[in-house]
Order: sequence, then structure tokens, then C-alpha cells
Amino acid sequence: MAPKITLIRGTPQYRNYRTLMWVSLVLFFLLVAFAYVDVGSIAIGSNKYNLSLIRLNKAIAYSVAILGLQVVVGYTGQIALGQSFFFGTGAYISAWLVADYSWPFLLTLVIVIPSCFLIGMILGLPALRIRGLYLALLTLGLAALFPTIVKLDSLYKYTGGAGGKLTTNKITGSQYKFAPPSWLPLDEIAQALQKIPLLGGYFGDGPLSNREESRMWKFILFSLVASLCFWLISNLIKSKPGRAMRAVRDNETSAAVSGVNLAMTKTISFGIASALGGIGGMIYVAEVGIASPDDFSSLVAIYLIVGLVVGGVGTLSGAVIGGLVYALIPDWASSTQSISFVPQRWLQGPTGSLILGLLLIVLTLFMPGGISTAAKKVKNRFVTIQSRANEE
Amino acid sequence: MTPYDERTWGADMDLFLQRLFDALTNGSTYALIAVAMVLIFKATTLINFAQGEQAMLGAFIVLQLWKWGIPMWGAVVIGMVFSGILAACLERTFIRKFDPADHLPLVIITLGLFLVINAVAAIIWRFDPLSFPQLFPSGRAVTIGNARLSWYSIFAFGSCLLVLFVLQTLLTKTKIGLAFRAVSSNLESSRLCGIKIGQTLQFGWALAAAAGTLGASIYAANPVLQIEPTIMLRALIFSITAAALGGLDSLWGALIGGLTIGFVQSVVVQYIPFIPNEMTLAAAVVVLLIVLTFRPSGFLGTKTVERV
Amino acid sequence: MTDALLKVQELTATYGQIEVLHGINFEVRPQEIVVILGANGAGKTTALRALSGMVQTTGSANFNGSEITNLEPDAIVRKGVAHVPQGRGTFPELSVEENLKVGAFIRSDNEIKTDMESCYETYPVLYERRMQSAGSLSGGEQQMLAVSRALMSKPILLLLDEPSLGLAPQIVEGLFERFVTMNQELGTTMLIVEQNAQIALAMADRGYVLESGEIAVEGEASLLVNDDAIRRAYLGG
Repeated sequence: MAPKITLIRGTPQYRNYRTLMWVSLVLFFLLVAFAYVDVGSIAIGSNKYNLSLIRLNKAIAYSVAILGLQVVVGYTGQIALGQSFFFGTGAYISAWLVADYSWPFLLTLVIVIPSCFLIGMILGLPALRIRGLYLALLTLGLAALFPTIVKLDSLYKYTGGAGGKLTTNKITGSQYKFAPPSWLPLDEIAQALQKIPLLGGYFGDGPLSNREESRMWKFILFSLVASLCFWLISNLIKSKPGRAMRAVRDNETSAAVSGVNLAMTKTISFGIASALGGIGGMIYVAEVGIASPDDFSSLVAIYLIVGLVVGGVGTLSGAVIGGLVYALIPDWASSTQSISFVPQRWLQGPTGSLILGLLLIVLTLFMPGGISTAAKKVKNRFVTIQSRANEE
Repeated sequence: MTPYDERTWGADMDLFLQRLFDALTNGSTYALIAVAMVLIFKATTLINFAQGEQAMLGAFIVLQLWKWGIPMWGAVVIGMVFSGILAACLERTFIRKFDPADHLPLVIITLGLFLVINAVAAIIWRFDPLSFPQLFPSGRAVTIGNARLSWYSIFAFGSCLLVLFVLQTLLTKTKIGLAFRAVSSNLESSRLCGIKIGQTLQFGWALAAAAGTLGASIYAANPVLQIEPTIMLRALIFSITAAALGGLDSLWGALIGGLTIGFVQSVVVQYIPFIPNEMTLAAAVVVLLIVLTFRPSGFLGTKTVERV
Repeated sequence: MTDALLKVQELTATYGQIEVLHGINFEVRPQEIVVILGANGAGKTTALRALSGMVQTTGSANFNGSEITNLEPDAIVRKGVAHVPQGRGTFPELSVEENLKVGAFIRSDNEIKTDMESCYETYPVLYERRMQSAGSLSGGEQQMLAVSRALMSKPILLLLDEPSLGLAPQIVEGLFERFVTMNQELGTTMLIVEQNAQIALAMADRGYVLESGEIAVEGEASLLVNDDAIRRAYLGG
């Protein structure tokens, strides 16, 4: 067994550890970004598994949406299953502003965040009166309603009806350009990475093309937005409102008795979750280029829940893992066309949802904390962090 | 002022009657699935999101049995038994491990089952529409003016009533039925009376699955429909709404709720001309939202609802 | 010294992470009426729930020759222990008669009907309301129903959790008189948990006082009634 390292908060070793962790994370992130700036694939057996910044951007979008679920389900304990509603709302609002009014994508957040927050708070009002299963039904029903709402004829000029809303600018007819600022030495970094012996080939050949630069920049921007969200939420959790939320989750009666305003806490939690859903939606539509009704169906709501549970309910890293799971697993499942001992016929159906469903069941039974909790346990075998020296 | 026009009046009546008859058809299916959901809800206060898929799987099993040469109604009965056994296994393996009071893991498990069962059915039978055996004599039974009531509708509704009567008898006149009602009424006291909760719940799950399979089979036996793995997805929303409308713990409420939703569906289709499919779904969801927000106990349910 | 019907040793009970009973010892002898007194939160209800298998326990509870700790509740009922929970625990949606039937659930003999009739004789009001739903009964009537329901399983030991809770004094008196009669006529051993120390000690043989999960006092009921500490704490000086 590897030696167990014990670190104590506040000491220099602890600070070094944290710095090391963050630096490696950023490095890993950059490596992945440059390696997959074009569509890359891993081949296992005779199957090709795609990995690209396109997929990763989608993963970021889902992660932010799932982060919203963490707030309302994980930290406040409300069974709110309708995140696809807000994911879609954010997407449509962004698409509409970008296409019809030439707004830059990031600016649309100024409208998306408050709108989704408000709508979330309003739709969260029933949660004040009903709980548990009834709330789950209500929210799932709302999610089921979303595609119908955007397909209404009266909203056609905003939503583009069944065909969806393209983000192509109505006036210029062209897509919004994500151009990285000139001071960012992307070409230089790419070429430096290409010089790495042995692995250099993974980073492509020569300077980055315009398309690749734009993709890279999108990836960086979205990651920054997402990181900001995660940072804000991590602070929220440690703050007083955050503790109020967790009190509500653990025992409503005790929380009320200790002075927590149940109604306000729940409503705000719904608002924040919806706002995050909207942000995720903006990222999604910025990547995909179109907001179409079926991309925001109740099935999407269920898949987001799968991401939540598989990642780990009530953890921040769980949201990241969940987003990756949702973005990659169904796609990889359908890319698996042959496994040696499995008849090919079996692999041609909706294997993606089969695996997600199985994950949901298996994890709830055996790893209720999701992957992030399991990973934490593994980490704890090697490194433990104590608050103070010799604390029992 | 337009003079009273007898022909218009007659035509309107016909249309209304026709809508009423159409409501019977779909309403009966929704009622049967709703009954299944109510059974499980009564005993466990759990909504089984996988109910529709279990029913669909059951109907496919019936179809397969029929294709293998087993006579129609025999296939239905065997299919019902088989799905009952399957449901009992599901309850034993997945549901029993959890505290019934903790809703979140159970909701998630049934969502997982929803995905898995749907995928398995799609993998085995693909998405090609298949013809289901005609369980009922075809053709019109009754014609009132221009409104046509088919044998199919009558038998569908009749099956519904039959199932409800059988359930009623089972629940009130048998020992296990009494145990089921005791568990639904007071879980802890049931334990203290020596009732084996797990087995009783299993029984409930089996009954629910059998009812659901019958419902799905009747739905698929509709001469204008064909069976494929997504048939129950929309029916699920309608059935959940029907169950909620009738009162989640009332079996007869499920029947009334189902017929009401069937009626809403046929009325809405008539009056709102655009995107008919979508609007019926939306109407059902709106009804669900209204019921859950303002009167969670529905028509006939008991008023002990999860209120804050 | 007669052999104890129920011998409890070092019984601890936990709810999740919280230990509520800290290794208590007590016993109940055949045909005795034993009372457990204590303030709210002392752990009285938990003690009974531990015996009927509803709580996580460690330690030993030996009933009629066999260990019942951590057996499933339905197995314990079959061994002859019946528990009337706090708050009656009737089945509100079921009729009075159905409640009694459920009480006899573990039995398959043909004396169930006769036993039901004797319940009706003991409590005629139950016979009057036998088709009504249990939820529509008054508090006192529900308590009668709850006790009758427990007796339908023909128990050797009857556990009663705060039978006087929420009932008017005259009703409580009548109730407890019946308990004594039952004990004398049927020979049912009773372990009663009560806050109303006065009436409990008046009809019990022996008593224990539970404080914060531990046995503080034990002894003959007649002696406990006269004990100063008990008087002050539970009998109002």
C-alpha cells in the first residue's frame, strides 16, 4: 500500500498540495484542449470513439445545468426534475438575442440569468406547498411541456417553431464568430506541444486553423464561465444561505424551528438552479448553433438527473462528472458497433439509454454517493486532510 | 338572430356523442395504467415511473406469445402472469432495499427502470410497428345518429370495469388483500400485526403490472394502432395525470380520472386545430399541474397529502 | 423466584447515530403487570420498539426462552408479543371489524370469530361501530380498538405504549380497570409504558423508572408510589 499522507489545513505543505492539484488540473485541461481541438478519436477493437472539443463543450453545458440540480436537489433536498425546461429557456433566449439582435453570446447572460432565475422562482412556488413525489411529478410535467410551448404558433417568430431557432444572425446571415484575442499565443502553444517527443503527434500539425482557433476559444470561454459558476456555488454552499439550504434538506422541521425561512430558502434555491440551467442552455446553443424543441424534452430532464446521480448528488465535482457522462456515454454507446462476444443486433438499439438506466440503478443501489464520492474514498486512502493537528 | 337549425343541433350532438365514445377507448387504457399506478402508490406512496414501460413490455410479450401460436386471450393471460412475476422480482431486487419514506432514491430507481425496460424492448423488438392481435370483435356496435360506438370501445371499457371489480374483490375479500390495505393504511402497525411487508408489496407490484399489461394490450389491440416500444411513453403522462386527477390512492378515482383524461383528449383534439398530438399532451400536463397545485387529493383521494 | 418471561440485559438502542438506550436491564415475570415510567424523551417508547423489533438494538432480550433481539417484527409477533404503539396505531381507513381481523393476521385457527365476539363484549361500543372506519372513532374508542386488536393475536406479552395519552381521566380509569381484568382473566402479561405514574403504579405489580436512557429506579409498585423522588418527579409532590 502506498504510504498515507496526512496534510493539515493551513500548513505550507497543504498549500503546496493545493497548488499542485490546481496546476495539474489546468495543465491537464490545456493538454486535452489542444489534443482534441480537432475531432479526435480513440479506437478500441473495431469501434471508434469520438472525443472532441465539440463534445466537451456540450459536457460543459450539461455540467452547469447539473450544477443547478446540485443546488436544488443535492443541497436543498427538493426533488425538482425539470431542469431541461430552464436549459431550453436559456438556449432559446440566447439564440433569439444573438440571431435577431446581434448580441454577443456572453452578453445574453445578462438577460438569461435574471429571466431564468425569476421563472424558476415562480415555478418553484408550488414547491412551497407540496413535497416529495408530487413535486417530482409537477416538475417532470413542466419539463414535458417545454417542447410544446416553444412550438406554439404564437411564439413562432421568437422560437422558430418545430424547426428550431438558428443562431445565424438575421441581418448578416452569418454565424457569430468566436475569435480569440490576438494576444493569446494559441499558435505558439500548439506548436510547442507538437515538439514534445513521442506525444507531439497528438497535437496536430502546424499552426491552428481559424476554425480550430475559434473552437479553442469557445472552449476556454465556456470553461471560464463554468468555473466562475462553480466557484460562486462553492462559496454559496459555505455561506449562511448555503447552510440554510442544507438544513432544509436534512430536516425541514428542525430548520424551521432554528429560524430558517423555509419559503425564502426554497424559492431562492429554485431560482439559482434555474439560472444555472439557463447558463448551461446558453453554452449549449452557442456550441450547437440551433435551439430545437426536441433537444429540451423531458427525456433530457431525465438524462440530466442521470448525470446528477452518476456524478454524485450533493457534490460539486459530481456535476462535472455528470456532464461528461451525459455528453459522452450515449454517443460512445452508439459508436460501439461490435464487441466480440455480444451479437451485433444487440448493439444497434438505444444502448445509450440502456447504459444510463443501468448506471442509475446500479449506482443508487451500490454507490449512492455517485462516482465523486467513490473517487473521494479512493483519494482518502492516499491522502487525508485534517483541519488541525492532532484533532480527534 | 339566426333561426334554430335542427340539422346543426343534430350534428353537434352527434359530434359530442362521438367524442364521448372516443373518450371511452383511450380513457380505458389510461384508466388501467392509472389503476396500476394507484395500486403501487397506495401501498408504498411511490410513483412507479416505469409502469408504462412494464406495461409495454408485457404487451410485447403477449404479442410474441401469440406469434408463437398461443391463442390470443391465452397469450394475454400468460403475459399478465409473466409481467406480474417480473414485477415481483423487480420489487424484491430493487425496491425493497430502500426505506419507503425516502423518496429520492426510489424515484431515481424507477426512472432507471424506465430507461432500461424501454431500451431492452427496443433492442429485442426494434422500433418497427407490429400488428397486435385483435382482441375484440371489430366493427360498430351501436350507431346513434352519426356517432359510432365500436365494439372495441365497449369491450375496452368493459375490461376496465372487470379489472376494477376483480381488484375490489381481491382487496376486500382475501387475506392478502386485507394485508395490502392494512399496509396502505398504516405501515408500522402492519408490521406490529405480523404482516410481512415485503411480500405484501410484491403482491401489489405484481397486480399492478398485470393490470398495466392488460391496459397496454387493449391499447395496442386498437384496430387503428400498431405496437412499437414508444407507445407507452405518451400514455404514461396521460395515466399519471389520470391517477392524480382521480386521487392517487383511489382505484375508482383512477377509472374516473382515466375517462376524464380520455374525454379531455378527444375534446381538445376537436377544438384546437393545430398540432393535435402536442396539444393533447400539453392539456394533460396542464391538468396535472392544476391538480397537483390546488387539489393534490384529486376527485376521490384521501386528503392526507404531502404538504409543508 | 419465578423465571422471568422477559429478561432484558444490556439493551441499547440507536436511531441512526444517536444512542437512545444505554444498556438497560429489566425483566417481566409471567402474568405480571410491569410499568416503565419516565419523562418525555427518556427512552420509554424506544424500549418497547426495541422489543418489537422496530429499532436497531444490541444486547439481549430473552422472551419465553428465545432471543428476540433483532428478529423481524413479524417473527416477534408470532412468538407471542403484541405491541400497542403510541397514538393507538389503528388502521384509519379500515373498519373496526377489519382492524380486528388484521390483529388476528398471524392466526389461522377457527376461534378468531369467537375472540372477536369477546372483544365486542368487553367493549360494546366497538360492536356498535364495527362497520365504521377506525379513523372516525374517538380517542378512547380507538384505544379500546387498539388494545383489542393486539389481543386478537392471542399474545403472551402485551406491550402498551402510553395508553392514557390524550384521553380524558374517566376514560383512562375505565381503560386501566379493563387491563387489570384482562390480566386476571386471560393471564396476559403486560408491560406498560406510561407518563401518568399515578394510575399506572396503582395497578401494576412492579415498576421501573427510565431517565435519559438508563434505569434509575426499580421496585415494587406499592413501594415506588411512596418513594419521595418519584413523588416529586412524577406524582406532583
